Order: sequence, then structure tokens, then C-alpha cells
Amino acid sequence: MDDISVMKEGTPILQEVSIKVSPGEIAGVLGRNGAGKSSLAYALMGVDRYRPLQGQIWLAGENITNLSVTDRARRGLTLAWQHPARYEGITIRDYLRISSENVTEASMEDALARVQLEPRYLERMLDKNLSGGERKRIELASIFLMQPKLAILDEPDSGVDLIALGEIMNLFRDLTENGNSVLIITHREDVAASCDRSYLMCGGRVVLEGSAEAVKRYFMSQCSPCTDLELKTIEEKER
Amino acid sequence: MTSKEKNYEELVSVAQKFGGRPGGFGEEDAAYIVLHANSILASHTIPGIEISSVETPEGIDAIITVKEGYRIDKPVRLCFGHLGTEGVQRINSSIHIEKGAKATFLSYCVFPNAVQFLHAMEGDIVIDEDGDFTYEEIHVHGPEGHIDVRPKTTVLLRDRALYRGDFSLVEGRVGSLDIHMEVTAQGEKSRVELTSKVYGKYNDSCKVRDIISLTGKESSALIKARVVLKDQSHGTFVGLIDGAAPGARGHVDCAEVIQGEAKAEASPVVRASHPEAEVTHEAAIGRIANDKIEGLMAKGLDEDQAVDIIVSGLLR
Repeated sequence: MDDISVMKEGTPILQEVSIKVSPGEIAGVLGRNGAGKSSLAYALMGVDRYRPLQGQIWLAGENITNLSVTDRARRGLTLAWQHPARYEGITIRDYLRISSENVTEASMEDALARVQLEPRYLERMLDKNLSGGERKRIELASIFLMQPKLAILDEPDSGVDLIALGEIMNLFRDLTENGNSVLIITHREDVAASCDRSYLMCGGRVVLEGSAEAVKRYFMSQCSPCTDLELKTIEEKER
Repeated sequence: MTSKEKNYEELVSVAQKFGGRPGGFGEEDAAYIVLHANSILASHTIPGIEISSVETPEGIDAIITVKEGYRIDKPVRLCFGHLGTEGVQRINSSIHIEKGAKATFLSYCVFPNAVQFLHAMEGDIVIDEDGDFTYEEIHVHGPEGHIDVRPKTTVLLRDRALYRGDFSLVEGRVGSLDIHMEVTAQGEKSRVELTSKVYGKYNDSCKVRDIISLTGKESSALIKARVVLKDQSHGTFVGLIDGAAPGARGHVDCAEVIQGEAKAEASPVVRASHPEAEVTHEAAIGRIANDKIEGLMAKGLDEDQAVDIIVSGLLR
């Protein structure tokens, strides 16, 4: 994502944002509520209401800035939404089958096991009778079945208990085994600290990038409230 | 193979492929009728069911009776259809469920090639004391063309009788649909459940009028409609329950989903003409939320595919 700016209802919600996720990497985007993290996720995914005014988005060497959500997904980019939608009358089995042409009963059961759900969930409807946490896990199972080149995970830990979170971080690691990448959007410094590298967002800008541990340290000491929108790297900050 | 046999094979094949619930036709222990235009291609009955049908210039007149006390296990299958592109088919039916009898009728209305067609059905149903009757009407239309579908049914329920009516037109184009259903739950503790599922596209017109009068003491009713409209289609739903007896209970539940330039109108009418009756309603008209569509697009589906999946779930 190179120099992306997005306006919504006359207000800039992303300003000159540049981030990069390398093959096989888990990158994090850390920030307080309202920092612009989800907007970044929507802009990356190509959601219409988040079309950039300027800048470019690249995936595996291809400029995808003007592609639709569908075309981006078909090229290997996907998003696990912060609040995944529910679908009346659709079973979890139906939903997981959409993830990939190659899914089997066994692969669906394996994906559910990775997010700590039993096979019986395949029969259940993806409707309002599922809790937010269950719905979140099903979305992560779906992403795992897709095996995308880049999975954007918007607050993947919300609604998921701490014990399960460790398992789910393992799932993200498994996702990167084949050279795929993961971008985790989070407001939790411990989640961001599990990434290989992190960006810190505030006020619609990327204000810091560096090692996950260093960004976490800065976030915990300085980000309530954010005091400096100009610094871009840990090195600059330390200078 | 004669042309009659070919028509039979094709109608039954399309009905079961797109209408679901395969089986029944041609089976010795199941009752069925297959009609092409005004020609009866097959008619078979079993103990407990009397079928009398005559061909008319534009369809058939049929009288079907489920005899007292008979509990029919396998659904009775009716296939009314036409394989041509234009024409008229009128079905007049009289169905009598005698005391304590139980049956399910699956009625397939199959018009896979119709371009300009009128399909009119007039039915009278009487369900005697303790009778239990389910009537499922499943339409299978082609993707193009225009069919005028005019089902008009009256139902009378006696004491403790149960009637379930399910109407489904979700495959192919609707054309112009005007359902008119009038039910009188005259018997004490009788019960009515009406469900309509319709998927309108292009410039389809969909009208559903379900009217129930609860005149029996402690009778009850549920009207449920799920209507999805896209493109320039338009739909009107009127669901009226009149609680006209002590202890009568009713509920009207209508959800219409619109996409594109479609227009929808819903009128759930609740009337309590007896002070001890209670009738409630809920109605909602709305678009499919963007997050539902985009959620599926992020899996690689295009917008139309995403909408179709969401709609198929709503209409399931």
C-alpha cells in the first residue's frame, strides 16, 4: 500500500498511508479505536466506500488499486471482518464450501478444529443464534481454507478467549507456511507483539513502523494520548 | 417412446430436479397425477385416496378425497405443467380431507419454456375434524419469458383441523404472480400456517394476499412471507388475520428484501373483532446489508453470486 489517502463524507480517514507485507510475514497494525485501522483494511480490500483519492495498492507485483473486492479476492487477497456478517438459512458447511473449490469434509473439520470448534458446527446455521466469538472463529476457519496470498484479519482476537488466542496465533503461523502473508489489525499490544513487524496508526496515519516489540513498547509508553504524528520509524524516534 | 411418455418424463424430471423432494412419481405405493396442458399423462391412487379428474378445454377439473381416518405416509404428488412457450392452463380442484385423515400434497407447477402463459388455479379445500393437511406448491419457471400465475384458494377448517400451506416460486422468472388465499378457521382449536417464498427479478410483479378469519374458539394462525425483489421487480404483500372468536391467536410475519430498483410494499393487517382475541404482526422491508454482500465477495464471489447465495438462504 503506497501513499494511500481516503476521504469519507469530506473527512480524511487515511492520509498518505504506506505499508508493506512481505511473503511469509505476519505484520501488525496497532492503534487505538478510531485510529483508522479498519479503514485501512477496507481500502486494501477494495470496498467501494473506501476508494483511495491517491496512491496505489500492489499485490504480488500487480497494481490492484482499481480492482473490485471480487477481483482482489480471486487474486489471493481476503479480509476477515471485525464483525463478520451472519447469513440466515446458510449452514456453516455451505459457507466454508465457498472458501475454496478444493474443500472436503475432512478439510472443513480440520479448519474448525484449528479454531477450537467441533465438527457438529458444520450443520449449524450461520445466523443470529451464533455468538460473536463463534462467528469470528468460523471466519478464521474460512480464511484458513482459502489459503490466500495475503489475509487481512481485522481484530481477530475480539470475542475469542485468551486460551484460544494462542491456538489461533498458531493458525496464522500455519497460514504463512506456504509463503502466504498475514496482516493483523489490532488494538491489543500483546497481539501486535506476536507479529514479525508492526505499524502504529493514529489519526488516519501510520506514525511508526518497526519491530513488533519496539512498536509495542512505544505504544504502551506514548500512545495515550498520541503525542507525535510526524515520526515514521523507531530509528527516527530514537534520534 | 410416445409424445405423452416423453412429456411425462421431462415434466417429472424438471419438477424433481428443481423443485426438490425426488421420488413418488411412478411408485406403486404413492398417489400422483401428471398433467401436461389439458392432457392427463398419469394418474395413480392408493387406498385411502379417491381421485376423480376430467380434462377440460384448458386444463382439468379434479376432486380429491382423503378418506376418514387414513394417514397417508408418502406425499401425494401433483405435477401441473406445460413444455411449450405459450398457452393457458386452468386447474379447478376440490380437496376434501375427511375426519381424522392426514396427508401432504406436493404440487409442482412446471413451465420451463414458457414465454407467454396463463396458469390459473382455483381450489377449494375442506378439512374435517382432526384432519391434518399440508399443501406445498412449488413453481419451476424458465429464466426468461412471462407467466401469469393466478392461484386462488379457499380453505375451511373444522374442529381441531390443521392446514399448512407453503407456496414457493424461487426458480426462474416469476412473471406476474397474484396469490389469493382465503382461510376460515371455523373449528374450535383449528390451526392455519401459511408460508410464501417468492423471488422476483427483472420486471416481475408479485402480489401475495393471505386472508385468514379465525372464527373458531381458540383457533390460531401464522402468516409468514419471505419476498425478495431485485432489478425493476415490484411486490405487494397483504396479510390479514381477523381474530373473531374467544381465545383466537394470530401472527403475521413479513420480510421483504429489495435490491436494485425493486419496489416493495407490505401491509400486515391485524384485526380483533372479538375482545378476547389477540393478533400481532411484524413486517420489515430492507436492502441486503453491504457487509453481507462484501463478506462473500471477499471470498471471490461476484456481487450477483453473493446476492443469490444470500437470497437462497433467506428463501430456504
